[in-house]
Amino acid sequence: MRRTALVTGAAHGLGAMAARRLAAAAWDVVAVDVDEVGLAKTSLRSPNMHVRACDVADGGAVAEVLAMTGPVHRVVHAAAIAPAGPVLEQAAGEIEHVLRTNVIGAIHVVQATLPGMLERGAGELFLCPGAAGPSAAAVAAYTDALWAEQGDRGVLLRCVRPDDGTPHRLVLDAMDRSLARPAAHVHVRARPTRRPPAMIFAPR
Amino acid sequence: MQAHAIQGERVTLPVRIRDAAVGSAMFAVPAGAAQAVIGYSGLEVAEPLPGRAVCSLAFVRYADGDLGPYHEFAVAFLVRPPGEPPSPGIRGRLRGVGAFIHWLPVNQEFTLEAGRTIWGFPKEIADIPMDLTGRVQRCAVRFGGRTAIEVAVKPGVPMPSGAGAPSVDAYSCLDGVTRRTPWTLTPSEVRTRPGGAKVVLGDHPVAEELRGLGLDRARALTTSTVGHLQMVFEGAEEVRA
Repeated sequence: MRRTALVTGAAHGLGAMAARRLAAAAWDVVAVDVDEVGLAKTSLRSPNMHVRACDVADGGAVAEVLAMTGPVHRVVHAAAIAPAGPVLEQAAGEIEHVLRTNVIGAIHVVQATLPGMLERGAGELFLCPGAAGPSAAAVAAYTDALWAEQGDRGVLLRCVRPDDGTPHRLVLDAMDRSLARPAAHVHVRARPTRRPPAMIFAPR
Repeated sequence: MQAHAIQGERVTLPVRIRDAAVGSAMFAVPAGAAQAVIGYSGLEVAEPLPGRAVCSLAFVRYADGDLGPYHEFAVAFLVRPPGEPPSPGIRGRLRGVGAFIHWLPVNQEFTLEAGRTIWGFPKEIADIPMDLTGRVQRCAVRFGGRTAIEVAVKPGVPMPSGAGAPSVDAYSCLDGVTRRTPWTLTPSEVRTRPGGAKVVLGDHPVAEELRGLGLDRARALTTSTVGHLQMVFEGAEEVRA
């Protein structure tokens, strides 16, 4: 049976690379973003990738995509916008826009996919809110709350918060490796590089 | 600019792979038996040591490239450049060697058609599950649920990044036509070690050939993993071997 993955933020960056890797591994991939040109680039010459233009901040639009998709076995929610500049200098409206996309967007994706996974007693749900900032912390707290409520029902919940500057492929490697860890290991970290041997043997 | 129509898309050459990851193992095999396997191409195996040829198994995840995302498994042999007699010494015997691609299953239709049409690569469709992120990297090639081959590669030690991009010739033989394809590789995040491969062979004809070469019992010369690989494939030219 072919497995279906939903990848948000699939037009660029981590989401695009996640969508391509899953497509390479013969998953049916539903790739979602607001940027249709970027989506077309991600899905080029990939017949098992299906693109849907959708803003995750719009709960109705997310529900519509899922109604067309059918059961989803893995979610990689990578749609997140980075706030511009220091937190203190951001206008309230700007912060509200970031929280709406990054936090409320994550909630929309979870509410559209997790109940089905729980019903089937299987699935993998990755929330990738970015490295730092209030919205990433909020998504991490939301993941903890989900785990506390639903943690023992067969669905793997993961909140992925890599260190700044970690290449996307190392983040995805860390996500893959996290699948083999106990379900309770909800938080996935990734570093820019593995520690080189010279550092291991350096005198302290 | 050379271009090919593949499934309604225009694929221009050279074809560029921007991000791939690889696990591979090289084995010393009896040269006579290896020559019998690739004799259909008209090419001759290289013998770094007299009587020994080199067979390479590789599994590749193409994440970003001109042929779309896919998984691939390769069985290749080092071959001498056609029409040139072997030079003396180990360096002479390795001068100008290329990689003859004997078998190249893939798991996606676009790259299947592109590979066969543009370069005559012996691609066929298979299920190719792969784990490139575990400590031991693994790959299997399956047809309708039956396993043809499984390869596991243990972790090696990090290698320094090379300065230049190695260029080799890839050879292929499809429908009686032997071709040469200039191929450039730019690897990074390379780890390698002696030995370190485990091969399990199933009941596929190619698995039978590899069993005849002793690959299910042999210790690998070396195994390698490449975390990030970029490649360029030029157009193919026919070779009169």
